[in-house]
Amino acid sequence: MNASKLDLLQGTLDLMVLQTLNAMGALHGYGIARRIEHVSGDKVFLNQGTIYASLVRLQQRGWISSEWGVSSNNRKAKFYSITKRGRKQLSEDAVNWQRLSSVMSRVLAMQGEGGDQ
Amino acid sequence: MIDGLRQFFLRVTSLCHGKQMDQELDAELAAHLDLAIEENLQRGMTAEEARRQALIRFGGTQQAIEQHRDARGLPGLEILFQDLRYAVRALFKNPGFTIAVVITLALGIAVNATMFSLVSAFLLRRPAVHEADRVAVVTSVNPGRGFLPDTNPVSAPNYFAWREANDVFSDASAADEDRSVSLTAQGQPEALAAAAVSSSYFNVLGVPAYLGRTFSDGEDQPGRDHVAILSHELWERRFGSNSSIIGSTVRLNRENYVVVGVMPASFRLMGFTPQLWTPLTLTLADRATAARKDRNLYVFARLKPDVTLERARTEISNLVRRSEQDFPETEKGWGAAVRTLPDFLVYNFGIRNGLAVMMTAVGFVLMMACANVAGLLLARATGRQKELGIRIALGAGRLRIIRQLLTEGLLNALLGGGVALVLAYWGVHFVATKMTFNEAVSAVPITLDRNVFLFVLGVSVLCAVLCSLAPALRASRTDINTILKDESRAASAGRSHSRLRTVLVTGEIALALFLLIGAGLLIHGIYVIEHQNLGFQPDPLLTAGVTLDSARYKDATQQVGFVRDAISRIQNIPGAEAVAVTSDLPATGPSTVNVQIKGEPDLPASQALGTRDVVVSVDYFNTTEIPVLRGRMFTETDNATASAVVLVNQQFVHRLLHDQEPLGKQIRLSVSVPVPQWCEIVGVVANVKNYSEAPDEDPQVYEPFLQRPIPSFSIMVRAKTDPNNLASDVRTAIAEVDPELPLERVMSMPAVIERQKMGDVVFTRLLGVFAILALIFAAIGIYGLIAYSVGQRTHEIGIRVALGAGSSQVVRMVLREGLKMTAIGGAIGLGLALPLPKVLNALFSGMVFGEPRLYLVVPLAIVAVSILATYIPARRAASVDPTIALRNS
Repeated sequence: MNASKLDLLQGTLDLMVLQTLNAMGALHGYGIARRIEHVSGDKVFLNQGTIYASLVRLQQRGWISSEWGVSSNNRKAKFYSITKRGRKQLSEDAVNWQRLSSVMSRVLAMQGEGGDQ
Repeated sequence: MIDGLRQFFLRVTSLCHGKQMDQELDAELAAHLDLAIEENLQRGMTAEEARRQALIRFGGTQQAIEQHRDARGLPGLEILFQDLRYAVRALFKNPGFTIAVVITLALGIAVNATMFSLVSAFLLRRPAVHEADRVAVVTSVNPGRGFLPDTNPVSAPNYFAWREANDVFSDASAADEDRSVSLTAQGQPEALAAAAVSSSYFNVLGVPAYLGRTFSDGEDQPGRDHVAILSHELWERRFGSNSSIIGSTVRLNRENYVVVGVMPASFRLMGFTPQLWTPLTLTLADRATAARKDRNLYVFARLKPDVTLERARTEISNLVRRSEQDFPETEKGWGAAVRTLPDFLVYNFGIRNGLAVMMTAVGFVLMMACANVAGLLLARATGRQKELGIRIALGAGRLRIIRQLLTEGLLNALLGGGVALVLAYWGVHFVATKMTFNEAVSAVPITLDRNVFLFVLGVSVLCAVLCSLAPALRASRTDINTILKDESRAASAGRSHSRLRTVLVTGEIALALFLLIGAGLLIHGIYVIEHQNLGFQPDPLLTAGVTLDSARYKDATQQVGFVRDAISRIQNIPGAEAVAVTSDLPATGPSTVNVQIKGEPDLPASQALGTRDVVVSVDYFNTTEIPVLRGRMFTETDNATASAVVLVNQQFVHRLLHDQEPLGKQIRLSVSVPVPQWCEIVGVVANVKNYSEAPDEDPQVYEPFLQRPIPSFSIMVRAKTDPNNLASDVRTAIAEVDPELPLERVMSMPAVIERQKMGDVVFTRLLGVFAILALIFAAIGIYGLIAYSVGQRTHEIGIRVALGAGSSQVVRMVLREGLKMTAIGGAIGLGLALPLPKVLNALFSGMVFGEPRLYLVVPLAIVAVSILATYIPARRAASVDPTIALRNS
């Protein structure tokens, strides 16, 4: 494993997929994976294959929907798009995540100051 | 919540559409790779490099598919299906093994299910009574010893006192459950078991009538009490289930009674078998002090809401203390017990200890069956080690291996349970036909009910865990490196494997020995009792009960008249040799009364001397063939006008007169006659056992019928040949004296004794069967283990033989292995069995167990069986051909 890449935390992939679909509209699995890699500046360690487990999970929860279509270069592929409930879920999760990350950065900052005394 | 459900539903449906979803995923993944390759090509990679990079970025395809499956479906369930499929395949691959396992478990579970059907029938069934746990039963506690002294009925004055003074019962009723009435509806008069109950009895129990009504208030007052309620069984049998019976008149004890109701068939209190109910009329006389001695009422009361049983107990014990202070002569030492109705019925039935012993025994048998199956599975686990090793190497987790083996065990056990149910069906049928020794027992239906099914299911699961956990844990601890490398060239492979089996078999031997000794003690104890000299000659005697009703036989003269007339008519029957009447048939537990001896100081009530007391007619001792040892028998002149005389038995002379000269001594019995008088002892007769099923002999007094007539007695006829042939002649003779008088319980004396045995005989015979089954299991266990270990050691034995070991040396070596286990197991079993006689004596009161020879015979038998079981494989080991053994790996 490449140590310089980030290991994905449990549950973060689902959120990334939702946000990607929210921002980009309908995409196929490969497109989603590439998009995430691109946005992260290739910092995320992602086996592209794992995205399909995340997709089926989100679909069963009713947060995304799928249908077969044709890609820009004329290939048959399954396209995913976010549903109304998915958007609602995304906004809740995004708020949670932002709160968590701000708390985490504050906690970590505090440790850095106190460590010297 | 809804989302959760929806998701679960989708996951379940995805199980069914697995193939379709897999195909779709395949297509999707293929598209993914194509897209990736295309992008890579556009970046200028070669075709091969583009594909390689695409695959690297993708990660494992197979992994992605697995993740997808886990995410969309129910992984646990899928694994279970997989394990089951695999287990079924394993079952069919090795049918011999499967059959051995299933049959062993089936036998073990079947005996348990059969015994449990009795537990279910006698202990678990609830009486069909409204909120039975809120019904309390109050009984007296007899200060004397005897069988269940704390379920003694209550006297009428105490019933009144407790009912009126208590603050814990919302309603109380009394029942005399032990009455007999003659029914002369049409044709032959019939004696029926009946109960006389307070008018509130059925209300207290909360049971409505099936037809008509139950008793209403005031029907237990004289004048209004000629009403009757029929049991469902009697209504069917005698009245053809005719519902117009309600309101019609039947003849009971020569008087007209109006039938007001029929009870439902389900209304049955275990141990009580009345066929009809009449009101219990209690008058002023029943409140008098004199009535305190007649204890014949069971008190059924409903607890007030919020009143606990504990509070009711405290309340009643306070009331008991009060009556003890007020009436010390009759109440001294007597207490009272309060139980809930279900508790009381089970306790009073007195079958709990017997069933506990039986369940323990069959539990042991099941443990041995499990030990054998575990042994088989362990042996097979060795054979499957390589297979398991490969599976672990391919990535199967240890938990997964354990689950797989447990699933196999469960499948085996459930198959065993299924076969066991079939076997138990026969077992239950067999036991049900044996459990008919008296009305109370036959009235309890024994079936494979829901409880038994649940029990079999539970036991099967337990067996699966017991049998396969040890092999499973062991197999999962497998070190794959050694296994895959190991070519079983090692001289004695599986040494550590057979250690666990050795422990199991040793335990089996210990249990078998324990069970055999236990069963042996019981069988010996019962044998001794069955073959004891009762003190009289029961065969060929015919017996029949008679109850003279007060309507026609108002006083002593009429009772004596009937007996005279009846005896002389029966004596004229050609096959009859001698005829007598008696208050109690010999060896059927006559009642105990207090006795005073003239010239001895008066003892306080609590230390009064007790003796059993029987009233007999003149020819009793000839009829029963009880030898008169000293003095004389009764004669026709020992009548009401002559001075009172009695006979006593040897125990009376020994224990109460301390072997002084008995003849001429005067004694006074506290019997319920207006004025007890001093009676002279005119003869001594031999002892008779109190009960045919116990070895005790108490002091006993015989009073002449002519001087103390009684309305309820048994007729005994000594026959010249088969006593049953006389039955119809005796009926005719009685009908000539009184056509409306029924005979009760017409049967031979051996049949009377047979009925008294209760379950002990059936139980001990069954126990014998179980013990033999245990021995067989132990033998199979030893045989299986030794045969297996000989098979494993073929190579080693081959080397020994090649190096010059003779066949007798090999046999001895193998035998030693078997005997070591037998010795250790036997010693443990013997240690466990040492306190058995004491335990059994405590469990079966009145019987004495203890036969030291069993402690020698049983271990010897076990050693013999284990030598036999070891010898067969030992012979095989000795005949090993070293060239073959060494070539064969």
